[in-house]
Amino acid sequence: MTKSEFAFIALPISALVAPSTFAVQYLTVDQAQRAIFPGKSLTAAPAKLAPAQRKAIEQASGVRVLHDEQQVWRVSGGGWFIVDEVVGKHEFITYAVGLNANGSVKQIEVMDYRETYGGEIRNENWRAQFVGKTSQSPLKLDRDIKNISGATLSCRHITDGVKRLLAFYEIALKRS
Amino acid sequence: MRTNRQIEIRRCRPLLGTFVEIQAIGTNAADLEAAVEAAFLAIAQVHRLMSFHDPESDVSRMNRDACHKRLRVHEWTWRVLKSAQEFSRNTDGIFDITMAGQLMKWDYLPRYGADSGAGSWRDIILEATNHVRFRRLLLIDFGGIAKGFAVDRAVEILKRNRVSAGIVNAGGDLRVFGSASQLVHVRHPAQPRRAAGAVRLRQRAIATSGIYFARTKERGGYVSPMLDGRSRRAARDLISVTVAAANCMTADALTKVVFALRRQAAPMLARYSADALLLERNGGPSWIFHPRCDTSRQT
Repeated sequence: MTKSEFAFIALPISALVAPSTFAVQYLTVDQAQRAIFPGKSLTAAPAKLAPAQRKAIEQASGVRVLHDEQQVWRVSGGGWFIVDEVVGKHEFITYAVGLNANGSVKQIEVMDYRETYGGEIRNENWRAQFVGKTSQSPLKLDRDIKNISGATLSCRHITDGVKRLLAFYEIALKRS
Repeated sequence: MRTNRQIEIRRCRPLLGTFVEIQAIGTNAADLEAAVEAAFLAIAQVHRLMSFHDPESDVSRMNRDACHKRLRVHEWTWRVLKSAQEFSRNTDGIFDITMAGQLMKWDYLPRYGADSGAGSWRDIILEATNHVRFRRLLLIDFGGIAKGFAVDRAVEILKRNRVSAGIVNAGGDLRVFGSASQLVHVRHPAQPRRAAGAVRLRQRAIATSGIYFARTKERGGYVSPMLDGRSRRAARDLISVTVAAANCMTADALTKVVFALRRQAAPMLARYSADALLLERNGGPSWIFHPRCDTSRQT
């Protein structure tokens, strides 16, 4: 018999006033590579997009390309591993996509998820604080909020991101 | 290296139109990875069967063809249909999966064929096992109960794969298993990026419904995807409802009932041995319900 422990613990007013951030790091690049392509060796093959390629990707996917560099790894025996990020109004997500040798999606793993209140995410300085962060240098954010009940934001940004990456594959990776 | 050291892995994938997160605790990393992978596969399966967006899903097939002929659906789809019908019967139609037409009109769901008109859950006929027929043209959407069902399947698979404890969270519908209790934060109904507070859970599922992310303007007034099946009107209050129950599908379904009935939902909650928490616009609790008897009933 499980006795219910259901009791509401209200947070102090100060916790409500301070802007809060929910952030989790799920996987490092290395861990994501092993999760999607276990036992495979990966070789870095970063791609730089020419203006014409950017335009072609945008036209093919209907999604804006914000960066002209893309973190890509070539997988032994065929396939690609791509690390990408999407930024929403209140969210910042880094994720990895594994592509099979034929360009189909093998697996998607969220690597970092941050959700924040307020407009910080649009601010370049706010975003710059994440550059070069690894698991060895965890950000000091509210680590006590581990689980939230209640809708998360939709994953539409990732859906769009994957659409953009598939166009990127067609235009920049397929024949390389 | 000691073999009985507890390790935890935490993974997140975009599925069911949201972010699905699995945390699993065990003693062997490879076993944990395999168990979590199997759990994600089950969730992906629920996604494929019950997506309103995917034309090949059971839900889309029913919406297209079930008013013309008897359809065979997957056992899992059948189980969700049966539960949905039970919730509808027990709530006198407050809970109703046949309101997708209305949701489509307000752009909560993609436009899909013609509006379904005035049908209701009573027009869904469950025939022989795994077979269903609609008495008229209907558009159904499982909404949150499919998420809850997916969470329940994932937990079942993790347990079967000897994961000793963990949490599966599908966009805020979550379930905790194992001996330890977990603190789960609840969003502030009017400022959803802040936590209003937390509840402690052990071997239980929880779901929170609010309209904070979903409320939109429609012809001057606000609408939301939180519909009362009796009136087909949308909830407009910036409150939130949190329900804890033995399984996640039940918890999700009951949030809709408490949204519509508030305190009058007490008998329903008692029937399912569920707890409820109602948070008002200011983030304060206005009602907390506990079922009187034990809460171990598994449904």
